[in-house]
Amino acid sequence: MTDKEIIEKINTALAEEFELDEASMLPEAHLFDDLELDSLDLVDMVIVLEQTFGFKIREEEEIRSIRTLGDIHAFVIRKRHQRLQSS
Amino acid sequence: MWTCFLMTLTVYPLLSLWTLGSMAVFPAAFFLFKFGTRWSTERIVRFFIWIYGRGWIALVSPFVRFSRKGLEKAQSIQPVILVVNHLSFFDTYCMALLPFYNVAVAIRSWPFRMYWYAPFMRMANYLDVETSGWDGVSLQAKKILERGGNVLFFPEGHRSRNGALGRFYSGAFLLAVETGRPVIPMVISGTDVLLPPGRRRLHPARIRLEALPPVEPRRFSGPTAHIQLKKAVREAIGRRLAEIRTER
Repeated sequence: MTDKEIIEKINTALAEEFELDEASMLPEAHLFDDLELDSLDLVDMVIVLEQTFGFKIREEEEIRSIRTLGDIHAFVIRKRHQRLQSS
Repeated sequence: MWTCFLMTLTVYPLLSLWTLGSMAVFPAAFFLFKFGTRWSTERIVRFFIWIYGRGWIALVSPFVRFSRKGLEKAQSIQPVILVVNHLSFFDTYCMALLPFYNVAVAIRSWPFRMYWYAPFMRMANYLDVETSGWDGVSLQAKKILERGGNVLFFPEGHRSRNGALGRFYSGAFLLAVETGRPVIPMVISGTDVLLPPGRRRLHPARIRLEALPPVEPRRFSGPTAHIQLKKAVREAIGRRLAEIRTER
């Protein structure tokens, strides 16, 4: 799966779960201010990403620093690459 | 048009008078109730808020036809978590259509900035979901449910701008999963005609508040239980809202 495909998969999963307008899903979109997610949504978002990509990320410290959609893209791409390298 | 004009010209002043009168009477009535019933402060204030809402219903009733359906079921299984779609500022007033009064409403911060209502909302232990943080809201809500009170959420978080059902936030559903208390989905319609967001002029309307069958959180399991519950409740409210609009 290419990085572009990963990004599309993330956006589709989040748009479906949180009923987001795909046009508003820009990498620089702030999760709270622009996409109007709340702290509980971030917990749900982690569950959605785990289900979509089949990895466990809820204990990752890095999740706490995620602010934008682009941060999510970068985080998931990095996790995918790490997973491929270790397997 | 003349009816709208007459309604706006009469309802707002009468509502102001009703509000001022209620505030003037409240201290004496509160102490009478406190010593007469030994109820908790939050319970007494919720009762008075419910009476105030009933007064508002009486004020607007020459222009607004109210109907309600299915609310008795919720009464029989209290305490419950009530969730209702959000169309207008006056939705909270319409909660006086409920056949019970012991309800704490979970709302955003801005209503707490209405200085004439804020002291009563705080005494009634209303939940500020925006500034308290989820841990604080959850703890507060659980205590309310333990004491026999009901908690009401507008899961869309804000009023719909186009009448369509918005996306739901998870708080109410996580609370239901954590406490095991049933969720009562409720559908309100007509308040968007009475006073849609961004308008000041009132319009005659037919307001309907309907409770749908309770949804038990134990039907759902696993880490996504609250998400599944949220989807089930949203689907039920959306379906009924669409039916009601077709019936109009």
